[in-house]
Amino acid sequence: MLNFIIRRLLQIPLVMLVLSILIVALTMLLTPAQRAAGYIRSEQQAAQLERIIRDRGLDQPFPVQYGKWLSSTLHGDLGFSKASGQPVLDTIKARLPNTIELSLVTAIPIILLGVWLGTLSALHKDKFLDQVLRVFAVLGYSLPSFVLGIVLLAVFYGYLGWLPGAGQLEVINQFSVGDLKRYTGMLGIDALLNGRFDIALDVFRHLVLPALTLIIILSATILKVMRNSLLEALSSDYVRTARAKGLPDRTVNLKHARRNALLSVITLGGFLIIGLLGGSVITETIFAYPGVGQWVVQSAGQLDIPAVLGFALLSALVVVVVSTVTDILYGVVDPRVRFD
Amino acid sequence: MKKIALLSTLLLAGAAFAAAPKDTLVVQESADIPTLDPGATYDTASGSVVENIYETLLTYKGSSLRDLEPLLATKWTISNGGKTYTFDLRKNVKFHSGNPFTCADAEYTFQRNLVTNAAESGNWFLSDSLLGTPSNANDDKSITWAKINNAVQCNSQGQLVFNLPKPDPAFLAKLAFAGQSIVDKNWATKLGEWSGTEADWKNWVGKDLQGSKLNAQPSGTGAYRLVRKDANAVLAQAFDGYWGQKPAIKNVIIQKVPELAARQQAFLRGDADLIEAGTRANIEEQLKGKPGVVVVDGLPNTTATAVFMNENIKDPARLGSGKLDGQGIPANFFSDVNVRRGFAYAFNYAQYISDVLKGKGKQRTMLLPDSFPGYDPKVKTYKYDPAQAKAYFQRAWGGQLWKNGFTLNVAYRAGSVGAQTAMEILKKNIEALNPKFRVNIQAKEWSAMLNDSKAGKEPMIIIGWAPDYADPDNFMYTFYSSNGYYYPRSNWKDATVDKWLDQARVTTNTAERNRLYSLVGQRAYEQSPFVLVPAGIGLNVERSNLVGATAQTFNPMISFSYTGTFWKDLSKK
Repeated sequence: MLNFIIRRLLQIPLVMLVLSILIVALTMLLTPAQRAAGYIRSEQQAAQLERIIRDRGLDQPFPVQYGKWLSSTLHGDLGFSKASGQPVLDTIKARLPNTIELSLVTAIPIILLGVWLGTLSALHKDKFLDQVLRVFAVLGYSLPSFVLGIVLLAVFYGYLGWLPGAGQLEVINQFSVGDLKRYTGMLGIDALLNGRFDIALDVFRHLVLPALTLIIILSATILKVMRNSLLEALSSDYVRTARAKGLPDRTVNLKHARRNALLSVITLGGFLIIGLLGGSVITETIFAYPGVGQWVVQSAGQLDIPAVLGFALLSALVVVVVSTVTDILYGVVDPRVRFD
Repeated sequence: MKKIALLSTLLLAGAAFAAAPKDTLVVQESADIPTLDPGATYDTASGSVVENIYETLLTYKGSSLRDLEPLLATKWTISNGGKTYTFDLRKNVKFHSGNPFTCADAEYTFQRNLVTNAAESGNWFLSDSLLGTPSNANDDKSITWAKINNAVQCNSQGQLVFNLPKPDPAFLAKLAFAGQSIVDKNWATKLGEWSGTEADWKNWVGKDLQGSKLNAQPSGTGAYRLVRKDANAVLAQAFDGYWGQKPAIKNVIIQKVPELAARQQAFLRGDADLIEAGTRANIEEQLKGKPGVVVVDGLPNTTATAVFMNENIKDPARLGSGKLDGQGIPANFFSDVNVRRGFAYAFNYAQYISDVLKGKGKQRTMLLPDSFPGYDPKVKTYKYDPAQAKAYFQRAWGGQLWKNGFTLNVAYRAGSVGAQTAMEILKKNIEALNPKFRVNIQAKEWSAMLNDSKAGKEPMIIIGWAPDYADPDNFMYTFYSSNGYYYPRSNWKDATVDKWLDQARVTTNTAERNRLYSLVGQRAYEQSPFVLVPAGIGLNVERSNLVGATAQTFNPMISFSYTGTFWKDLSKK
């Protein structure tokens, strides 16, 4: 197992290298003028287009541009993101903990809710409860998060006024948050560690609507997968054998069948976590939540190439780490799957 | 049940915190603030913060675009035939760092702007005035340290002296631009910015200051000091040591909220005092008439937009057959004034005002905002007149144009609904005149349009201009001079107009300058090098408890365009 983990971790730099070559090569498909236009904000600046191309070496050949990028990256400089007005590394350091905090709040409810509802749905196949849950599943995975987010915002913030709107903090807390000692970078958790329960409560209240949006949409997907795999497991030979041996239904359903059905959920859950950590792009944008997702949307729109490259590296890291963890979990859940 | 009740209480707790407090101004907008370094400030979003943290030597007087008043300077004199400007500087002014403001800071600021003059910055127009070239020392080898050092100096009385190579009547207006705000020399050099000496000036030539250390840790003399700039907000607080009147608003928060619907909700609930509220149609449909909302309408528009008719099209691929045979146009198609007038009479100005500007727009007489000095409302304008258009097209190219027809390829910036509609109006009206007239409209990506039009490849485009400083030269020279920035897009050259514009550039007598611009406007009407697109009328929304922002106090040159004032001029009731 340890060898397996080490091997997977060693793959990370290789994956990142290949990915960075691909991304830089893809950006080179744009003309130097197209890339230089990303630095321009007004017609007046357009007069400087040629100077921008020259100053930034955008007209140089691919190996030169890639070499420069790689060299500065290896020295810890991922470039300057004009979308955030900060160095890329500082932006990731500031925003990633926020995305992780949102992911922590949402990932467990998504999986637990999805597995529970999927199990209920499968065990009540074609009964009323199953019908209701299937409607929920269809709504969940067909409703765009953009629409759901706006509706939740309009109802719970705009109309009822129960929950705060966009952002991470109320105005009253914005100025005092600078005094917090930062341990994890996650504002809510750091506020708790500082004993500032007022700020922590404010942060978590702001997390409710974006988290709810993600939970509704993503748990529906888990529900659907769990239901299908559990139904498949329930109709398999080993379940019939277990029942024939006189084992109670509860033990057969939950211990034997569900354990196998969970394999598909683990695979899907891994992808969901990658998606959450990679930035819940739309949700973060709607709720002006300062995570990496919101930043990357804006960066892509502005042709902020250092930011896109930095984000791609971060994503690669997340993908490799999460898929490694997923594989390990496979082994834990299913003893037949083992690694040398 | 108890758990649910507890959760509800927790969620509801703090709901009362929501509304923006009386001493706090909350602004929500869609984009980031790119930089807080004045040396790199060129866009409005950056300028709107920089102009409140820093201060320029002088600024606009109230809502006037014609009168300037002292800010960090107390007075100035112009001598040596308009080539020397001497500024007395305000005493007892402190930077946010605690450092006192001296002439050395002002000298450092302008020299830093001349030394760096990065492509992304607006320092090219300062360099144009002080060094006689918009380029920096990388691009123009005639720029030396001696030249920069001589251009801005402190004299023995502690006055700041600018030495210009030739008179520039726009110079004072250029100094009012937020990008020319005075930075704290000691603070900047301590952070590791340029030392202010000859020793390292070459290392800083062309350097983009957007992400400088000064951007992260600014220190100005403004009424507000930066508290923090994080992923989604810029926070500023009134500066206790400010030399001027203490502002009523203590805290300012500019939050980034990309989604319009979310901004609207916050605004309607009173959580935001000002928001980026979208188009006129959106404001009128979603916000107007709602409780606590005030719409400030009738605000001046300081942009100018035109349809360019290129008289020397340099791309055979855009010409079709390249002949007047109905399948294309010759490269000099627009060199016949009758063609240009035909197009000017074929544009339905009223329809554009009604369809695009929702009835809130007006036709201008020249490509200069009507609030700007030098604007002459008496110059004639074209009206939509199909009969006149037909008459001019019949005269064009010795009658061949009318007989054979043409196919013209026109372009607009992809995504611009206004530009697209303008082109569609023109196409419909032109094609209705003669079945042999054909106009093909193409949406082009911005960078491609900028590049191709600059290379003179586009036969017809629609493009606008926004001012850097409130001087007519910034528009008139740009559009109408054969040395102007837009010339390669029109290739319209008129020797007399060039002479008038060059004269106006060095004429310090305002009445005489205005006369020259009026002559240019008249000549342009006769020669019709552009179709002048009507200008919209601006509007803003604000919460009703905000005081100090009205149509009368609005100055379009202030970057904080939500109110057209500095933050220090606002209060809340």
